Amino acid sequence: MKRAVKSWPSWVLLVMVVAGLLAVGAARDAAPRSPKERVEDISKRLACPICEGESVFESRNADSDAIRVEIARQVDLGTVSDDQIINFIAQRFGSKVLLVPRATGIDALVWALPAAALVCAVVGLGVAFHRWKLAADTIPDDADRALVADALAADASPDADEP
Amino acid sequence: MLATASLNGIVGHAALIIGLAASVFGALGLVIANVTGDGRLLRTISNYAWMALGGAVVAVAVMERALITRDFSLAYIQQVGSRDTPALFNVTALWSALEGSILLWLLILAIYTAVIMKRNRQRLDDPLVAWALVVMFTVTAFFFFLSFGPIDAFKNGPVPDFTRCCLGPNPLLQNHILVLFHPPILYLGYVGFTVPFAFAIAALITGRVGEGWLVATRRWALYAWGFLTVGILLGGWWSYEVLGWGGVWGWDPVENASFLPWLTGTAYLHSVLVQERRGMLRVWNISLLVATFSLTILGTFITRSGVLASVHAFSNGTIGPYLLGFFGVIVAVSLGLIAWRGDRLRSPGAIDSPISREGAFLANNVIFTVFAFIVLLGTVFPLIVEALQNRQIAVGPPFFDRLSMPIGITLLFLMAIAPVLPWRKASTELLRDRLFWPAWCGAGALAISVFVGADGLAPLLAFMLGGFAGGAATRQLLLALRRQGWRGLVGRANGGMVVHLGVIIVAVALAASNSYTRVAEFTLQQGKPVSYQGHTFELVKLQQFADARSTGVKALIRVDGGKSYAPAITTFTNFGTKIPTPSVRNGLLNDLYLTLEPSVRFDGTEAPVKIYVKPLIVWLWIGGMLMAAGTVLAGFPGRRRRVPTDPVSAPIELESAGV
Repeated sequence: MKRAVKSWPSWVLLVMVVAGLLAVGAARDAAPRSPKERVEDISKRLACPICEGESVFESRNADSDAIRVEIARQVDLGTVSDDQIINFIAQRFGSKVLLVPRATGIDALVWALPAAALVCAVVGLGVAFHRWKLAADTIPDDADRALVADALAADASPDADEP
Repeated sequence: MLATASLNGIVGHAALIIGLAASVFGALGLVIANVTGDGRLLRTISNYAWMALGGAVVAVAVMERALITRDFSLAYIQQVGSRDTPALFNVTALWSALEGSILLWLLILAIYTAVIMKRNRQRLDDPLVAWALVVMFTVTAFFFFLSFGPIDAFKNGPVPDFTRCCLGPNPLLQNHILVLFHPPILYLGYVGFTVPFAFAIAALITGRVGEGWLVATRRWALYAWGFLTVGILLGGWWSYEVLGWGGVWGWDPVENASFLPWLTGTAYLHSVLVQERRGMLRVWNISLLVATFSLTILGTFITRSGVLASVHAFSNGTIGPYLLGFFGVIVAVSLGLIAWRGDRLRSPGAIDSPISREGAFLANNVIFTVFAFIVLLGTVFPLIVEALQNRQIAVGPPFFDRLSMPIGITLLFLMAIAPVLPWRKASTELLRDRLFWPAWCGAGALAISVFVGADGLAPLLAFMLGGFAGGAATRQLLLALRRQGWRGLVGRANGGMVVHLGVIIVAVALAASNSYTRVAEFTLQQGKPVSYQGHTFELVKLQQFADARSTGVKALIRVDGGKSYAPAITTFTNFGTKIPTPSVRNGLLNDLYLTLEPSVRFDGTEAPVKIYVKPLIVWLWIGGMLMAAGTVLAGFPGRRRRVPTDPVSAPIELESAGV
């Protein structure tokens, strides 16, 4: 009975339920952002030009206020994208206000290197598993069998875990 | 006044030089005694550990005495002391800047060295223990040298000019009790990784790279990790309660510096199990410990040498080269030793299948290592660009958030699958069976989230996988409880599952609070309640306050017609900056987080406030407590396997395993 409950059909049901719920939940998110949300999103991607470690969104000083006003003005125009607004601000204050680094020039490395590291790590792991598989598939010869026989005959010690 | 003044400086210097000498003699004596087999010399070595500890204790005590007696002849007291700092924050002022925080580091390191010495004093003739202590003494000596020489913690200051100096610690470091706990606990973890590192180096030097050193340091690594975890979370809590931006983690370089060793340390705690069980991954485990320890030094270099600006970086241009040099020596020596012992480190055996406990640990390691790489890269990238192109750029929280989100999701998925995997190899049938109820837990969590109105793919995935992983961890705990009674809660595997539950709660809390925080600004007027997100906020009054060191104003705001909360703005007369202090109503579902804006007029009748509604954030701290409890449980001895041929993973009871 228990086995039947856990069989493939109930897993298929599970996957369908999950997919349906995810679809419902994700679709709710698709509503267009309000202007206020857009200003919030953009100001979170910009650093306050005169303070350390705060975004324009969090910062309370006059420069950040001015930037927020400018963002709101451009958002209200409704004709420019988030990225265009951000580029506009970055031209004024320099690329040090970009909290999300550009993907051009040397700055692109900050995006490319993590991807490269992930690929290297996964490929490395794949190679390791391949070699382990080759090692495990080696057919034992007589010398190996003799070693095993010796070990079995002599082995009464509990340290068998120790290679 | 002047007599005690010079006394503090003299005693402090003397303590440091005695500690330095004791550490150097301890290291040299151990090497000589081991090479020559001189038993008499060996028996004297433990004295050096006690002397070093004594030096560190006296140095810290004298610095505290200088703080408490307001000895402004010392440069450090001029920097962080003031006449009117309250007693508690005067004591914690010790670690509010570079010199004192290195003294705190030194004290904890000396305590660890002394404890290792005490526990192993009968085994000093064992080369593994001896070399581990040589490493501990050497690191201790380096920090004594740092605080005596380049930093000169007890330097005499110029004649104090009280119009400009002696303002006390940064105002942010003198308004919350957590400054008493966060730094010492964090350092207990940060510095604690020196112990397993020392034993790893000793294993390489002695060639005993088997599993003995792992077993000797297992609890040290575990507790260091636990302290680091708690320390980091307390830092987040402090940030939340004090800074007033409503967040717990800002990917600030100093935060990253504590997070990096946490990542590699977490990877180590998992991969070490593969070595204990299968004797494999020796080089990898040693490398992870070397990485963990060297990252603590590199992190200290990045944040304490003034190369990177950060909210809480203490800059001091003189120590950079020493820390960087020490980092270079650690890496070079470790790599050299690994290369030298290459033949012994090669281990027999193979991992049969990626779908196995070992395979899951390896996947975990890949992800944690890549995560650590990303955090390190993001932290130092502005430096690299500036060095290459002389151009300033920033790598900010949105970058880290974007990259850590998929990593977090993948880790949650692994946490769901890994606990049920057996060693060696798993079949699909077994997975289908063991994962069934956990997977439905995930579906249930997802259904609840959708039902209460959650949206967005990423947070929903996090909630679902949180439920899945929580189900898997709970299943393991229930099975263990049934098999072993109360012992099903202790031991590494079971304690580890409790830690997992804590991590999952933290992950869900982070996903919810990052995705669904609502914030709005209002100008509250007396007698006119405002409602926002289903709560009402009414300004009762603005209240001015003043004490010896500050003046300020707080807004009494009645929430939901009940208790009043009082966000404040404080101006510290010494510094002149306006410090906002939030006021938080904690709740299991939502925190209401109120801040008063600096634009408030002290004598006005209006309160410009920012109101954050932050869901589930309390669960961050609850999850953190569970992680700490799980670490303690994991430190207790678990069920012993009587014979090594016992099955590696107990067979599941299919008929009764209904969890």
